[in-house]
Amino acid sequence: MNDLHGILFAYRSDANLGELTRPRNTCSLAFGGRYRLIDFMLSNYVNAGITDVGVIVHESYQSLLDHLGSGKDWDLSRKHGGLRILPPFSYAEQGHGEYRGNMEALAGVAGYLKNIRQDYVIMAWGDVAVNLDVEAVYDQHIASGADITVVCTPTLNGAPRFSEYVEVSADGRVTDLSVHPTSAGKALESLEIYVMSKQLLMDMVEYCAAHDVHSFSRGVLQPRLKSLKLMPYIHQGYAGRFQSVGDYFQRSMDLLDPAIRADLFNPARPIRTKDMSNPSTYYGPNSVSKCSLVADGCYIEGEVENSILSRGVIVEKGAKVVNSVLMQGTVVKAGASLAYVIADKNVTINADRMLMGHSTYPLAIAKGTVV
Amino acid sequence: MKKEVVAMLLAGGQGSRLYALTSHVAKPAVPFGGKYRIIDFPLSNCVNSGIDTVGVLTQYRPLELNSYLGNGQPWDLDRSDGGVHILPPYMREGDQGTWYKGTANAIYQNIGFLDLYDPEYVVILSGDHIYKMDYADMVDLHKKTGAACTISVLEVTMEEATRFGIMNVDAEDRIFEFEEKPKHPKSNLASMGIYVFTWSKLRQYLIDDEADPNSSNDFGKNIIPNMLAAGEKMMAYRFQGYWKDVGTINSLWDANMDMLAPRSSIDLYDPSWPIYARTPIKPPHVTGPDAKISHSLVTGGCQVDGTVENSVLFHSVTVEQGADVQYSILMPGAVVKAGAKVSYAIVAENAVVESEAVVGSAPDDSPEWGIAVVASGVTVGEKAVVSPSAMIREDVKGGERA
Repeated sequence: MNDLHGILFAYRSDANLGELTRPRNTCSLAFGGRYRLIDFMLSNYVNAGITDVGVIVHESYQSLLDHLGSGKDWDLSRKHGGLRILPPFSYAEQGHGEYRGNMEALAGVAGYLKNIRQDYVIMAWGDVAVNLDVEAVYDQHIASGADITVVCTPTLNGAPRFSEYVEVSADGRVTDLSVHPTSAGKALESLEIYVMSKQLLMDMVEYCAAHDVHSFSRGVLQPRLKSLKLMPYIHQGYAGRFQSVGDYFQRSMDLLDPAIRADLFNPARPIRTKDMSNPSTYYGPNSVSKCSLVADGCYIEGEVENSILSRGVIVEKGAKVVNSVLMQGTVVKAGASLAYVIADKNVTINADRMLMGHSTYPLAIAKGTVV
Repeated sequence: MKKEVVAMLLAGGQGSRLYALTSHVAKPAVPFGGKYRIIDFPLSNCVNSGIDTVGVLTQYRPLELNSYLGNGQPWDLDRSDGGVHILPPYMREGDQGTWYKGTANAIYQNIGFLDLYDPEYVVILSGDHIYKMDYADMVDLHKKTGAACTISVLEVTMEEATRFGIMNVDAEDRIFEFEEKPKHPKSNLASMGIYVFTWSKLRQYLIDDEADPNSSNDFGKNIIPNMLAAGEKMMAYRFQGYWKDVGTINSLWDANMDMLAPRSSIDLYDPSWPIYARTPIKPPHVTGPDAKISHSLVTGGCQVDGTVENSVLFHSVTVEQGADVQYSILMPGAVVKAGAKVSYAIVAENAVVESEAVVGSAPDDSPEWGIAVVASGVTVGEKAVVSPSAMIREDVKGGERA
């Protein structure tokens, strides 16, 4: 048990993810066969005993609403607290499209923030695949006496121009923060997950709203590095970020590594997701399934190798799927052949089609396409 | 609040013919078909038929069943009015109260529960059949014909009819005679143990039956014959489709194998009639570089590195490299280690078959042959051998034969 309130930013729609995020924001991107990206941070919160979570959305959040529902699959459907979806309500600069920064997003839900009943807040992006021990982050935050704790990873995997990095002094305090630099150097990569007191957050949100500051990193952290005690929490496990189609493909293939799976799907801190009541996956008499991650509800009569299959995928006789990621409801008809393909939800590949991408440039097929 | 229809699910039976599989759990909680437990079928049928109030009558080893049902959320039965209710036998004032003496007595003891909802009709179900059925359709027939009782029947062959309770009907499908396991059946309509009663009628018959000291308080033996004798209108509801009793090891194994041909038995993939289950949180299953899977069901959390053919794997099953699983049912958490061979067997929850052990074998002509069963939590040691039709309840040491 702890005194933490969870906030998730779920309004990012990354242009570099192209076809994969056009109908949705990155948080509702399917990943790992049965998950949406938001499942990871949301489960991390729940696994740490957090009972109240606010999810800040802006636009194209229909698929996210559909996925989260009342929050019951995360045990967040509660009489008090539980899951709250926070669409834009009233913020100063309406009509700008996306929020210009997370401080603007927080200002937009200021009324909600005031009513938070916990003394501490954790906030994070909802589109990172990570199994984070949030309770440990909180414990360290309290023990260290930091004003703000930022979760960092020693294994760099984000593209520098979309990432943030911290430099840490000998006494373990963050001395520098660089935002979207041209190169990363040897600094620690920030996962942009922060723990702080509710009071500090409220003060900062008020200050930023009054001074038209939108960015937490640039507008709050950078100018105040000397006055605020900012401490890193080093997450040693896996963390996957999704900034391009290539990233998405690589992170998916990461899951074929047993060590990464063991870390990400740690049974002590399970990743929860929407229950769809799928039956088991059926393998036909001459099917082949090798080195693959296959969700429930699939019907496989063809060949699958080195691939990730989401719920309800059909691979007909004679079809071959290699090094590919097939999202929910993809149908690969008889004799079709796929290599290095990412097929979004409900894509149909007709009989005998051959589609081939490359490991560095996988072929992404938009939702609902018939090839 | 008043409900038009309430379902009562008889889940108190021990299921003694499932032997080792029900030594820890009630029969309706026995895993089935990769993702389910037996009780998911009647429960999902209720929800899909629009019945939102279900009483589940338990008395034998109810703990696992109770925690499985919980608040009924996986079946959308967590309602503010109605929902799923677990109904164990209970004590009354003055040291009164008994175990459920029979199926009819179980309902009799819960007249108070039914009176809370004051239903027009009560649907009586049992927890040992695998089928999909629209109870609403059956209730419609019951209403339309103005029957006091409607019994769901299945057409079987005349040879099979000798093993069932047989309904003899007139041209309008009105039942005029009931014969339990007749030597010379007059019809091939077998009772499926699914009844719709007009509650006001049934209520009186239950009270009268309880007053009869010679009654065995059973629907098939007492209530149905009594109603027939009294001239009540009793109708047969003809059911078509897959229906299987899973009360024995062989029929349980058979029915699981049937799920491998979903297009011809029960289509679990049909979105219009989903079968719901409480699903543990597990990642997708993983197949290794040497995995060989054919004609099988595999579920979340499994790790398959060996050979799996004609088998049903529940969640979190491990089949190591070089292991060979044929025509078998591996229940949640079962482990088959490297080089072990499992064929024509049911390996229950969390049982471990150590490396190079052999469990069961392909059918031969010997009369002793049968499905081998390894009970939950049991370890079959390295290079041990479990003979076909063996029922293993305790660990088998390495190299031994059981």
